[in-house]
Amino acid sequence: MKEKIKYLIKRTFGLSDISDEISTSSCEKWDSLNHLNLIVEIEAEFNVSIEPEDIAEMRSLSDIEKVLNKLLNH
Amino acid sequence: MKYFIFRNSTIEPFFIENEVSYSGYGDISFIPEDADSYIWFYMLPFKLDVKVLVEEIASFFKNLLFVFNQMAHNKDFYVFTLNELYSTRLITGDYKVAKAIAEYNLNIIDLAEQNKNIKILDFSNFTTRYPSSHLIDWKFYFLSKMQLNPKLSIDFKSWFSGQTKAIQFKRKKCIIVDLDNTLWGGVLGEDGIYGIQIGEDYPGNAFLEFQKALIELTKTGVILAACSKNNEADVLEAWEKNPKILIKKEHLSAYRINWNNKAENIKELVGELNIGFDSVVFIDDNPTERELIKQFFPMIETPDFPTQPYMIPNFTKELIESYFRIYSLTEEDKSKTLQYRANIDRMNFQKGFTDFKEYLLSLEMEIHLQKVNSSTIPRVTQMTQKTNQFNLTTKRYTEADIKNFIEQGNTIYCISVKDKFGDNGITGVIIILLNRLTKSATIDSLLLSCRILGKGIEEAFVYSVLNKLKHEGYKTISASYLPTAKNEQVRNFYEKLGFEIASDDSSIIPGAKNYIMDLTKHNKYEIKPYYKIIEI
Repeated sequence: MKEKIKYLIKRTFGLSDISDEISTSSCEKWDSLNHLNLIVEIEAEFNVSIEPEDIAEMRSLSDIEKVLNKLLNH
Repeated sequence: MKYFIFRNSTIEPFFIENEVSYSGYGDISFIPEDADSYIWFYMLPFKLDVKVLVEEIASFFKNLLFVFNQMAHNKDFYVFTLNELYSTRLITGDYKVAKAIAEYNLNIIDLAEQNKNIKILDFSNFTTRYPSSHLIDWKFYFLSKMQLNPKLSIDFKSWFSGQTKAIQFKRKKCIIVDLDNTLWGGVLGEDGIYGIQIGEDYPGNAFLEFQKALIELTKTGVILAACSKNNEADVLEAWEKNPKILIKKEHLSAYRINWNNKAENIKELVGELNIGFDSVVFIDDNPTERELIKQFFPMIETPDFPTQPYMIPNFTKELIESYFRIYSLTEEDKSKTLQYRANIDRMNFQKGFTDFKEYLLSLEMEIHLQKVNSSTIPRVTQMTQKTNQFNLTTKRYTEADIKNFIEQGNTIYCISVKDKFGDNGITGVIIILLNRLTKSATIDSLLLSCRILGKGIEEAFVYSVLNKLKHEGYKTISASYLPTAKNEQVRNFYEKLGFEIASDDSSIIPGAKNYIMDLTKHNKYEIKPYYKIIEI
């Protein structure tokens, strides 16, 4: 799952390489608009609907994994 | 920056990031000058208060006018129609909002009719593909004011680029169609004139629809030709005797009905119609024939024809959308079929003469030479975009570019050519850059539609322009040839007219040549007596 998310981040933000520690504060491209673009990609890829409260929390790769794990294991 | 977009909601996901910049939401205070074109993309706000909403819609048009009046009118301005994506009305019978939207859309259409740089984008053409519930994702609306569901962004981008492409005229010119099992069901040679399936009942009614669609396409300037393995006499008899066949000989600009292989036939047809292979779409129900054409002429489009006749409407839609969409018609487009047919009459006529000069004289050609003005700019622009074969430099221009040339004091002439068989409309353009100080001129572009080639018109055209320049006191004229995959036929055109090679740019662009002509050396360029030059 982590690799899939990383792939989506790279594709959405137009980056060639990213670290596992990527977050809104460490990545310039991760602005509010790209954040929503990323959510759209994640929702389509994992076939989930993410709640606005969770969207606000997803500020790093590990945050995204946490939310997805919660949604997928329900 | 390619586009600057005036908007009132979040639309960033729907455009390609590095091509666009955006206004603030509802912001009309800033009109950047470095945009190639502008877009007006306002969406209907979600509001229950009808009175407020109606006023807001009216204000959109006022704002649009305000922006339009300030921007450079030589740049394209794409304006989206307003459409209601999601409606909640407290009173079902209250049509005030619908009326306000209709009024807004009428206003922008009126404005576009008066101003050629405004191009309308019918947003409903996109939105009607989806149910209302799919058009909006309220989560994204509340999170970031996106009124259109971001999940539609990929679809939107391809729709948008399709629309702008249609506006910029990149359509194919010709359909070459098979007959048996394509224009009608069954095989004429086996089933007979009345045995083929065409008319009221399935599958004949499906083929009939296809014929109707093709006829409509010819009215928009697409030329239709037939290529079929049949006895020509059988087909001629069927055209004459079976009234249910709508596409008759007169709809076809040319045809080949024989037992030769189709690649040969198509090569001949393309030559006869004087078009490029890449402007042809070949429609045949037989996959083997399609494959043959694909192998021989990869530039020809060969869409798969449906195996079930009831799938023909989908095929037709796909055909139109992929190859023949167009933003608006010029007069030339509408009469193109007639013109191509008149050309073929000219060719047949040609065989009766022993002397080519005699033929040229008998055509009673008139060349109407005029300076380009606002009424001819659209056609002239279209020609710079589409002409490939007789085009010395193949520079593509927009309407704005053409206007700029004129505003900077340069001269653009166009010709419309008429002969006893018909009027070909505007079919030649020359763009001349003038240096009034040194009294020197440069031919930036010279192009002629292939419809009028083969009659020496090009020489008469250039010579009459050179005479005018001489008359205005110009001493030298320079020109150049830039080779492309398609303009081989004009490689030595300037040599034939008496230009001298000034330098050869082969080291930069292989095959490119620069020319010069001393206008003072000639008294007057002689124009052959076959051409009557009429200056407007």
